Amino acid sequence: MIEALLRRIGAALITAVLATGVVFLLIRAVPGDAIGEMLGQSAGDPAAEAALRAFFGLDQPIWSQYLRWAGDVLRGDLGTSMRQGLPVWGIVMDAFLVTLQIGLVTLLLAALVGVPLGLAAGARPGGMMDMVVESFTLLSLSSPVFWTGMVLLIMADAWIGWAPPLVYTPPEMSLADNLESILLPVLALGFLQAGAYAQFTRQQTAALLRQDFVRAATARGLPARVIFGRHVLRNIAIPLLTYAGLILVQILGGVVVVETLFAIPGLGRTLLAAIQGRDYPVLQGALLFTVVVALLVNLLVDLAYALIDPRVRGA
Amino acid sequence: MPEPRIDRRSALLAGAGLMGAGLLRPGSGLPGFGLTGSGGAARAQGAPPAEAGIYGPDDPQARRGGVLTVAIANEPPNLDPFHQAGDARTAITVLMYQGLMYEDASGVAKPLLAESMAVSEDGLAYTFALRRGVRFHNGQPMTAADVKYSYDYVRDPANGSPGAADFGAIRAIETPDDHTVVIRLSEPNASLPMTLTNRFGCVIPRDTFANSQARSRLSQQSVGTGPFMLQEFRPQSHIRMARFPNYWRQGQPYLDGVLFSVQPNAASVLVALRSRRVDLALLARPQDAEQLQGQPGLSITSALSLRQCSLDLDCNHAQLKDVRVRQAIALSIDKKAVMQAAISGKGQVLGTIPAAMQESWGAPLDSLPYQKTDPARAKALLAEAGLGDGFALDLVSIIGFEWMDPAAVTIAQQLSAVGIRLNIQRVELGVWLNAFRTRNMRFTFNDWGTQPDPHSLYYRHFHSAPRGADFRNWNNAEADRLMDAGMASADPAARKQAYLGLQRVMDETVPTIMLYSPDLVTVSQQRVRNYVQHPTGWWFGLAKAWIAT
Amino acid sequence: MMRRGRIEWLLGGGLVLIFLAISIAPGLFAGSPDAVAVTRRLEAPSAEFWFGTDETGRDVYARVVHGAGSTLGIVASAIILASLLGGSLGALAGFAGRLPDLILSRAADALLAFPPIILGVVLASTLGTGAGNLVLALAIIYAPVFFRVARAAALVEGGRAYVEAARTLGHGEWAVLTRHVARNVAPAVVLQCVILFPLALQIQAALGFLGLGVPPPSPDWGASLQESRNYLTVAPWLAIYPGLALLLAALATSLLGRALQAGGR
Repeated sequence: MIEALLRRIGAALITAVLATGVVFLLIRAVPGDAIGEMLGQSAGDPAAEAALRAFFGLDQPIWSQYLRWAGDVLRGDLGTSMRQGLPVWGIVMDAFLVTLQIGLVTLLLAALVGVPLGLAAGARPGGMMDMVVESFTLLSLSSPVFWTGMVLLIMADAWIGWAPPLVYTPPEMSLADNLESILLPVLALGFLQAGAYAQFTRQQTAALLRQDFVRAATARGLPARVIFGRHVLRNIAIPLLTYAGLILVQILGGVVVVETLFAIPGLGRTLLAAIQGRDYPVLQGALLFTVVVALLVNLLVDLAYALIDPRVRGA
Repeated sequence: MPEPRIDRRSALLAGAGLMGAGLLRPGSGLPGFGLTGSGGAARAQGAPPAEAGIYGPDDPQARRGGVLTVAIANEPPNLDPFHQAGDARTAITVLMYQGLMYEDASGVAKPLLAESMAVSEDGLAYTFALRRGVRFHNGQPMTAADVKYSYDYVRDPANGSPGAADFGAIRAIETPDDHTVVIRLSEPNASLPMTLTNRFGCVIPRDTFANSQARSRLSQQSVGTGPFMLQEFRPQSHIRMARFPNYWRQGQPYLDGVLFSVQPNAASVLVALRSRRVDLALLARPQDAEQLQGQPGLSITSALSLRQCSLDLDCNHAQLKDVRVRQAIALSIDKKAVMQAAISGKGQVLGTIPAAMQESWGAPLDSLPYQKTDPARAKALLAEAGLGDGFALDLVSIIGFEWMDPAAVTIAQQLSAVGIRLNIQRVELGVWLNAFRTRNMRFTFNDWGTQPDPHSLYYRHFHSAPRGADFRNWNNAEADRLMDAGMASADPAARKQAYLGLQRVMDETVPTIMLYSPDLVTVSQQRVRNYVQHPTGWWFGLAKAWIAT
Repeated sequence: MMRRGRIEWLLGGGLVLIFLAISIAPGLFAGSPDAVAVTRRLEAPSAEFWFGTDETGRDVYARVVHGAGSTLGIVASAIILASLLGGSLGALAGFAGRLPDLILSRAADALLAFPPIILGVVLASTLGTGAGNLVLALAIIYAPVFFRVARAAALVEGGRAYVEAARTLGHGEWAVLTRHVARNVAPAVVLQCVILFPLALQIQAALGFLGLGVPPPSPDWGASLQESRNYLTVAPWLAIYPGLALLLAALATSLLGRALQAGGR
């Protein structure tokens, strides 16, 4: 068990290292670097350009830049932003906490809406409720999330004349302002993920109801409500919890466009800005962070699955 | 602090705002909103000092206090005036850092941290008497040594400042005493005062960069002498500034602080203005003003700008090597139609100089033979060049510059009339800048601004290497001669002659086609008072703005 | 169960046919997407302009119709390219032995570790914009998914008796791979194509929205949505209709995917 776990962690780490290598190469293949933005159309002095490049170590060959970066990472140092001059760890952490909060609130919303819908639909497959939920799921999974956001903006403006606040407020400053600034992004993302959650819950519920032990209970004449409470809800709790992890990872990855639309200073927008400004240290740091978080959550999900009731595993 | 009150003056201003978009011509004086009304609110001084008009007019009526929120769609990557060329950086750092001189809207450099400037007979020595009582944000008083350090830092290429080339003419900087700086040049340069203004000519405490962490600190802490100091910079979100209590101009600024809020796009700026979440914004798309017309409580003003939207032609690229092809392209383009498509006509069609400099330095458009649209002549020129059957050409446009897309489509239509088939190619800004600086720009859009001086405008962009950067591979000896003459001469009339000559050469040999200057459209809530828009588009005016209740 | 499957076939199939028709022959359904009526800018939907007009006075309906070919064509080409690329490499990895398998699998894992949209932004920046590069970028994002599907299928098929039989009969490795394994791996790959289509469509739209899509004057849906942002509250129809088209196209393929899956069960 522990050996398998260690092997998984090892594989995940190799994947992360490979992934950063890929990005390192890819992004350096793009013409232009952070120096370009600093000099703008003012350049003309090659000496100044060379000096800047040397300052940031960009005059070194790529492999040596990578090794140096990887070495620093192993020592826990993600480097310094070329554009902002701030430590990458701080930039990434600040941005991640913003995104994480949005992710968690979205998750809560998605679970509150999606799970009951999925349970209701799965309880009687093919029934009226199932059709309704199915339609909702299809609709939510087919809507581009940034478009949902745009439609929300349009509706808010047209119906109640409201627009989201300009400046993102962190929750520790004012929870009310904070919730106001993340309201629309959360609704847009939540619409999508509630559909995903409903679909998953429905599948799990329907599968459980087909299980022998549930059928046996039905045959024994137990009321449907008791069967649902005793067998289905108890057994479905853990898969639903693990699914939450997967959804969180999805939100973290997919939030780029929504953050752009709503001017949220989260991880996605930080990444995008780093790509556009060729801020290699921030880009690498943020990507490494994203990848490691995703791998970690996946690992935890697998672990949870391995530990839970074998009956559910069978399902 | 005076009591908030509504007086005659604010009523007057409200009226002026509703009148909407009147063109404010820089140089024709500041908007005189009748500085009447009973005074005594702010401060009583004797005769107004020379610096009173800098950044905008003083306002004895001003109410102190309040934080003004400004929406910006273009975020600076950092706030380091020594290592960042971007306009988005300059627009904001001018409030925190100051140079010896100020680029007045009239196009003349006026003393700022200097009290006066004297030029030697031969034009090789500039002596500046420094203003007394100036303090940096860290509390330290400013002396001549700080000025010398700052300018020596910029001009040393090893420090990698994008301003290094501008300071190239400086041979030595001397400090005879704590309040005098003498700048010695290797050759006369009439634009030196303009070089020492607020883009790259900022003064900071000596040895600031001796600390290896100094660069990164500039994003958290300002060390200039300006009216505001940096409080917080949160990338992708906002920049907060607070009033500098020891600012050398006593009683200023009027505001307690400024909050720059970074907006993801032009639309959200409009929404923010409408919902009154923001006090002031400069519209990135001047045509958006029509969406705000009739909105109660908003003042909209429009001014000429120093920005230009243009087409650049790499004179070493494919068919563009032939001057006749470049002329043919110039003659095929109807700039007015392009401007209509790109920004709904909310700008000024250009000849060879940005709109805000046309009156003072520009050659009249009708005196320039290649500024008219003449497809027949264009076709004849192409036939002469052996391209009578037409040819294909890539037009490079930059991702994120919205005006370029409709402009590209219109230009493609116009050029197809003479047989040139344009393929529109979109590239990222980083890729584009790289091509530009390595002089591989091909046939491309450009969008850039200048300080209000012809030397700053032309020299680096158009003078042949190594003295200029000649990004367009123009390499025109006659143009070089005229730019050198304009730089060396101290006589304004002679300078003007040189630059008029240069513009004729530009018109004829077409290294660039300046399309139009978008109008600087400033929108503010009525409570914003005494804000004057500078033609650079930078936020100088906030130093004199105040908030009414 | 059967009833549900049939509804999905009907709805999904019908929508897909409609989208196919307007992609192939947009001229039959709408006028020119580039015709400009300067005096009729930003008009609300009306009998004349069903979806209203845009900033330069172009017919939004015509642009949405003409955008189908570009938008859906790019996604379809990308998915096909990804399935060929990922599918063949996956079959190879599942069949050709340990070392190639290890290398290819690790590479696929590395690509899969990125959220698709972020990988898309990096790739689009690296490759440059334009339809061809967009296809390539999307193909690289989704190739690893096909790789996994094909590899898993190939591992199963590779151990089957008929493959062993073919081997013992003296067929070369490549012949076995192409003739037998490919034939049996193909259905899983096809199903995956349909499942991934709506996902890839959303990534394509998102890249267009971020300005990394097809250059103008193409009426690509994502790019149209990007342009619509400047008039979100003044002319909401600019955002609503291209988005609805995206939604319906994704819906059509999702329905088809479900129908296929239901049929396979």
